[in-house]
Amino acid sequence: MKNKLNSIGNYFKDFGTALAKGDIWVKLSLVWMGAGYAARKQIINAVIMTLLEAVFVIMCVFYAAPNLAKFGTLGTVQFEQVFDPLTLTSTVNDYDNSFLILLNSIIALFLIVVFILVYISNIKTVYNLQKRKEAGKHINTFREDVRAMFNERFHITLLTLPCIGIILMNVLPILVLIAIAFTNYDQQHMPPSALFTWVGWTNFKSLFTNSTTITFGYSFGKVLIWTLEWAVLATFTTYIGGILLAKFINNKATKWPKFWRTLFIIAIAVPQFVTLLLVRNFFADSGIVNTICANIGLTDFLKKIGLVGSNLTYIPFLTNPTWAKVMIVLINIWVGVPYQMLIATGVLMNIPEDQIESARIDGANSFQIFVKITMPYMLFVTGPSLITDFVKNINNFNVIYLLTQDVYVTSDQMLANSNAKEIDLLVTWLFRLTNEYYNYKMASVIGICVFIICAAFTLITFTRTIKGDKEDQFR
Amino acid sequence: MKKKLLASLLTVSMVAAMLTGCGGSKEEAPANTTETTEAAGGAESTDAAESTDAADPVANLIAATTDTVALTVWASEEDQTLTTELLEKFKAQYPDVTFDIKLGSESESTAKDTILADVEAAADVFAFADDQINELVAAGALQPVSATYTYDVAGENVAGAVEAATVNGTLYAYPMTADNGYFMFYDASVFTEDDVQSLEKMIEVAGAAGKKVAMDISNGWYIYSFFQGAGYDLTLNDDGVTNSCSWNAAGATDVAQAIIDLCGTGVLVDLGDEEMATAIAEGTVVAAVNGTWRAETASDAWGENYAATKLPTFEVAEEAKQMSSYSGYKLIGVNPYSANVGWSMLLAEYLTNADSQAARFEARGLGPANSTVAASSAVQENPAIAALAAQAAYATPQRVGGNFWTPAETLGQILASGNPDGTDLQTLLDTAVEGITAPVQ
Amino acid sequence: MKKQVRFVLRHVILLLLAVFWLVPIVWLVATSFSGYKGINTAHFFPETWSFDNYLALFLRPDSVVQYKAWFMNTLVIAIFTCIISTIFVLMVAYTMSCLRFKGRKGLMSFGIILNMFPGVLSMIAVYFILKSLGLTNSHVGMIIVYSAASGLGYLIAKGFMDTISISLREAAWLEGASEAKIFWKIILPLSKPIIVYTVISSFLVPWGDFVFAKLILNSGISADWTVAIGLYNMLNKSLINKYFSIFCAGGVVVSIPISILFVIMQKFYVEGITGGSVKG
Repeated sequence: MKNKLNSIGNYFKDFGTALAKGDIWVKLSLVWMGAGYAARKQIINAVIMTLLEAVFVIMCVFYAAPNLAKFGTLGTVQFEQVFDPLTLTSTVNDYDNSFLILLNSIIALFLIVVFILVYISNIKTVYNLQKRKEAGKHINTFREDVRAMFNERFHITLLTLPCIGIILMNVLPILVLIAIAFTNYDQQHMPPSALFTWVGWTNFKSLFTNSTTITFGYSFGKVLIWTLEWAVLATFTTYIGGILLAKFINNKATKWPKFWRTLFIIAIAVPQFVTLLLVRNFFADSGIVNTICANIGLTDFLKKIGLVGSNLTYIPFLTNPTWAKVMIVLINIWVGVPYQMLIATGVLMNIPEDQIESARIDGANSFQIFVKITMPYMLFVTGPSLITDFVKNINNFNVIYLLTQDVYVTSDQMLANSNAKEIDLLVTWLFRLTNEYYNYKMASVIGICVFIICAAFTLITFTRTIKGDKEDQFR
Repeated sequence: MKKKLLASLLTVSMVAAMLTGCGGSKEEAPANTTETTEAAGGAESTDAAESTDAADPVANLIAATTDTVALTVWASEEDQTLTTELLEKFKAQYPDVTFDIKLGSESESTAKDTILADVEAAADVFAFADDQINELVAAGALQPVSATYTYDVAGENVAGAVEAATVNGTLYAYPMTADNGYFMFYDASVFTEDDVQSLEKMIEVAGAAGKKVAMDISNGWYIYSFFQGAGYDLTLNDDGVTNSCSWNAAGATDVAQAIIDLCGTGVLVDLGDEEMATAIAEGTVVAAVNGTWRAETASDAWGENYAATKLPTFEVAEEAKQMSSYSGYKLIGVNPYSANVGWSMLLAEYLTNADSQAARFEARGLGPANSTVAASSAVQENPAIAALAAQAAYATPQRVGGNFWTPAETLGQILASGNPDGTDLQTLLDTAVEGITAPVQ
Repeated sequence: MKKQVRFVLRHVILLLLAVFWLVPIVWLVATSFSGYKGINTAHFFPETWSFDNYLALFLRPDSVVQYKAWFMNTLVIAIFTCIISTIFVLMVAYTMSCLRFKGRKGLMSFGIILNMFPGVLSMIAVYFILKSLGLTNSHVGMIIVYSAASGLGYLIAKGFMDTISISLREAAWLEGASEAKIFWKIILPLSKPIIVYTVISSFLVPWGDFVFAKLILNSGISADWTVAIGLYNMLNKSLINKYFSIFCAGGVVVSIPISILFVIMQKFYVEGITGGSVKG
């Protein structure tokens, strides 16, 4: 942390030094960004920087200023329309669209921040040029600058396009999401016909409070607990199941291991949305499985031992909270185990044989070998991907949504009052809040919570991997 | 212009960032977004043509239209063939105008979901079920029918349909069909006409035959039928979004108990629409509460024994109450953000005029909203439509805010599964009403 | 004797497991040949067999079934997505693995966190950003959605590149090769398994996504859709009873090329994630 503060401090100190010690051209660069280059005969650089500055100014005047001016209120002019029955045309006033103001303002702010960074480093670069000149060192020509882009600065060349993509489709949407959490953007305030505005922390408060009419707090707690339970269950069942299945198939006593493996792969090679939608109909209340269960008397048996309600004529596989939760986990095992098996197979094949051999000589049985050698090795190799799987399961939208959408009806009235269901994960709840109830503000608040949870888990695992710099050890 | 400008900004800033090489790599900013959406209605270049007679707006419009008129129409999957034919006829009516009409498919029952996601991207003319009208109006997604040109929309359609298309005294849509309500289908080889007068009797008969009676009880739309029938109200408040509900008033627990008892027989089963269709086809269900869209399924399964009638009565505290229902209509709306509002309105009128409604009845058996067409003998003889007409006396137009559905659905689910947790019925109803009447957050 | 019993037992268990895993798939294939269009809930195997569902898929396009168009749309989107994604992933992976510069670790952590962020959460913002670029209802927009942020998925590829011996690069430096040349001539040819993995996994994305596709291709014109939305739409309440077996046929057809790719990809995936620890 202190390091970070220091480096930020240095960043500005360098800027100060550059300004204080720079000559007239460096100081002139404060106003005309190309000045420093022009003075050192880097004409093309000068032209580019000048153009950049001009474009930025134009952007500010025509794009940033009009949007940022309304950023405080998110617009005040309501949509109005007058229809002329004689010409069958309508005229529309110059209305404000709160969402576009928000979006454009965020983009504009982003551009401004980026420009300031470029601006500061421009001064530093120009000052460096001055120093080089004074020292009589060589000053790069444009051609040499370009060549550097494929050498010392190759990382910039490589990262530019991917970063633009990430900013466009990932960073900006996240910023917008965060901003919406502080507004009242919901079905009563939907642009373009209506305006929405800032409301501060209200939405966060309603997520953590409970009253008779606002049950978000209750629902959030319930959904969060199930989300975590699910993520743990789903991750570990498939992981352990995959390893066991791989061990079982790879055992020397098993004939035709390739054949068996292929059988299991077929099950997952069909796209997930097809299999999941199929399985939903497979286990429907009046579906084929229920018909079979009724025919062989399983339904009646389950009724007798009390696992199925006495007034039901079917097994509520995906419609009763407990049944549905169990079924979802089971179906997820069905989807996930073959996949984990493949990975486990690959890893198991690479287990150093000598370790196992020496353990065997020492008299360890196969269970001990599994616990003492195989599992630690597996965990070492697949540990990071296990955490990735865990986070992916927190956000496992497909399994839950495709299996229960339009089928599952909640029987918890408190949940129903905030449009949640027992089997909802935070993501599916959020998805339905936006998609069916247009409650964008609450969805954003939940989205931020999901993000924080996921980021925490990821950071815990990966900072160790990254900071430890294992990457260089292997070479 | 603006796009070019931003694109050049992008290029320049990229190069600049490379040159200054300021360590980081995230400096490049996306150049996106041209500012604002153009005010939608203004896009059409219609300087009112001076040469035409100002008294004839349609002629005005034709004269003012020089460019190709591009329109998008949404109709349900089942309506595609018919709508394509109607669109061709519409084009033929205006030979001087070039049209580019795209027909998309969007079910009437889900139109709202797609439209509200982005009103500006929605179709110019779309079909929807009347229960969505409040939310669509609140979102500004419906152009008021402030003038009509080819026929009198308010005058020629049945009063109920016009009422369903009206919000706060303003007509917002063009009625297309008047058959979106529900009633009772039954197999006449199992039930007599007397049997179907009472739900208890039906359950007895079906139970004796080893068959089921189906109703989608875990669905707000259908469970309404019991409570309203017993005299407990659910109404939309004046604000157009929140509800008033008396389902927890004194005596309402008897209704809840009645539903539990009815389902407890095991003969009245809670099935969703598609499952019901399968069950009817397979022959396990011999009577079902559903709408005209399932008429084909039922008549295929039961052949000449296919019959339909009003909903039966059911017993609340030993008193027979007539089950109520929602009367439903399908409407056509015009998007106010359409670039061609005028043509969209004319097209909406065309798709709902008497001829089109008659064609729709002939092609698909959908009950017309047009009074003249509805009075024709062919329509009158259709059993499903006759049943709807009989139910009409006990039906109310659907006016309900969005907070009704989930709590009511859950209430239905709990009652249909026999109140498994044994919650006190009054508490159950109180919680449901709390959810139904909750303010919109 | 005891050994034989165990041998048989082991294979019977495997067989049972395999049956359990294959039942839904068998049902999918069987139903796709059903003569009945809706869901047959009374019998596992159809009562009448017919090839008609496949014919409907390819020869009788209507507003619900536009299979050929969907397939082509998805294929085009998938090809471009896969090209862009692969390039992005390799560029980022190489930068993070082989180059050293200020802020690298910070960027890496940042990237990993961002990658964990599910797209579903911010889809509305994504939609409106695309809309202001005029790219909704266009396949270009879809390609951008699927590929733009793909650079974040660099981790596996980086792990693989970490295992490539540094001495190779050092030798190249001594010969005066530029970083670009090292990337192109040395690292890329050695990364073949991970390239194949990236290509196939990014190719598969558009075939499985229906959330973004449904949001962005919202004109209601079914010929513009991708396979995923098209098939999803067939299970709409009002359509399922007429199209369920066609849905199954569509599912089978789309599975064939995807399973082949999937099987190939798996092999390289395993090599990719185990490569780091094994070769080291």
